[in-house]
Amino acid sequence: MATVSSRPARQLAMVFDLNKCLGCQSCSIACKTLWTDAPGMESMWWNIVNTMPGGGTPKNVFSHGGGYKNGEPVPGTFPPLREFGEAWGFDHEATFSSGGKAAFHPLERDGSSPEWGPNWDEDMGGGQYPNSYFFYLQQICANCSKPACLEACPRTALYRREEDGIILIDEERCHGYRFCAEACPYKRIYFNPGRAVAQKCIACYPRLEAGVAPACVRQCPGRVRHVDYMDNREGHPYKLVHEWKVALPLRPDFGTEPNVFYVPPLAPPAFNEAGEFDETKPRIPDEYLREMFGPGVEKALETIQVEREKAARGEPSELIDILIARDWNDLLGPFTTNPAELDRPPRVS
Amino acid sequence: MTAGTLTSVTAERLGEASPQLLAPAGTPWEKVSETTVSLAPTPLDAQPSAYVRTSWAGRPHGALANVGLSAVVAGDALYVRLRWAAPEPRQAITDNDTYADACAVLFPLDGKSAELATMGDEQSPVQAWHWRAGTALPFVITATGLGTVSRVPNHPVSVGAAWDSGSWSVVFKRGLGEQGVPLAAGASVPLGIAVWSGSNSERAGIKAHTPAWITLKLPK
Ligand code: SF4
Ligand code: SF4
Repeated sequence: MATVSSRPARQLAMVFDLNKCLGCQSCSIACKTLWTDAPGMESMWWNIVNTMPGGGTPKNVFSHGGGYKNGEPVPGTFPPLREFGEAWGFDHEATFSSGGKAAFHPLERDGSSPEWGPNWDEDMGGGQYPNSYFFYLQQICANCSKPACLEACPRTALYRREEDGIILIDEERCHGYRFCAEACPYKRIYFNPGRAVAQKCIACYPRLEAGVAPACVRQCPGRVRHVDYMDNREGHPYKLVHEWKVALPLRPDFGTEPNVFYVPPLAPPAFNEAGEFDETKPRIPDEYLREMFGPGVEKALETIQVEREKAARGEPSELIDILIARDWNDLLGPFTTNPAELDRPPRVS
Repeated sequence: MTAGTLTSVTAERLGEASPQLLAPAGTPWEKVSETTVSLAPTPLDAQPSAYVRTSWAGRPHGALANVGLSAVVAGDALYVRLRWAAPEPRQAITDNDTYADACAVLFPLDGKSAELATMGDEQSPVQAWHWRAGTALPFVITATGLGTVSRVPNHPVSVGAAWDSGSWSVVFKRGLGEQGVPLAAGASVPLGIAVWSGSNSERAGIKAHTPAWITLKLPK
């Protein structure tokens, strides 16, 4: 039976700092060009960054079921390709030859107008001016400790690596049943219709094996992403998750125990009617943050606030030093090898 | 068609092998008798994934009541044809949430005996020839129990399929002496059938099947 009761020997973990993300999608493009630019992978964004509050990718990303409730699997759905958004085309010819009259409008591969796509509602966010707010949410497969995807597969086509807890799909065993995609509450599994197999983020394991950080981590200009094994007590994930308790799982109510954690967004307080800060009212509603990051979020934000103020006064703060990452190699844990200096780039066969 | 519970089918001898036999509506089939085989939904509580059991609870599956079975030995090959009503065919996987129609015939790997309900066990594996609409080549799989299915590479099975006037016809062909389930002239081989309705999102263990083996008698 496809259940995972034991933990792997080591677990790779990542922390994404939502207070630093620029929404530039360098991470998404780094991943796309490395892993998902083949035919059949048009809709795939193993890494994607969406404006929150918002619909996410696929559309209404967190409302398709899956995961666990009281330890029992929750039935889920796998949204159609149009709700992920396929690779759009642009009619450059019409745009440039129409004397500026044609709209620079994207088209789906079948020529129709897109109805959804990655970061579709970019920068819209929530709240009312002047108390509007948003943040960028990066998503990859979280290599969950209770992986609903793996446990759903009746064919044991998914497996977890003992050496780092990364969940992979064996494409020789996968028969395209897509129970995994229904069961993942984060909708991080994609389907390759041409090859009839499920595909997902592989945590750049061939890079990890060569000592190189995942592409999304290494390419991030915002120094948002920290990676290390969770058992390294000097590593950023351990310090941020377990010591400082400022990095939290996304939607912990989904019950899959993800191994990607988020430093929650710290927004300024709300404006009152006089246009002044009202220190008693948060800009981002507490309920929303609790729904996204669980009950630890208020304490986490308080800790960040306190440490920020310390740093602002010129006092030392280990937390703020970690989050700033003055030397960007510090973000990479043991994976500091420069891929350009390898004999040849790592490849998967 | 013969109605009622069926326990055995005899493959008819039909002279030389002919490419027309792989065309399910090919003229040679007109002379071959067809037997109606009753199907039943697979039991949900036997599914090897808690997710599948939960997400299909209360959802009907395996509603296809019967399938027409014909078998022929021509030249040195066995041809098995399945025909069933599919008023809403799913001829290919077209999107994340669409599933193609499919069928399979199953045998004990040794051609003698194996547990059908569990799809074999460690001692007695099963082998299936599996066709999915939209794919030109069949899959051949072996299993030693539910959830243990694995594919056989470079197998000798071929398939022909056609949907016409509300029905699928699918013909599997395998040389009698080729690698896989032993198919000796004069032998009696247990055979099971499964059909998946794509329009009902059926796949994996969610299917209509023969709850018990049928005996396929090969001509001498
Ligand atoms: S995020 Fe989804 S696909 Fe990744 S391990 Fe968790 S359940 Fe599986
Ligand atoms: S590359 Fe870094 S800053 Fe840019 S969108 Fe990705 S996580 Fe945010």
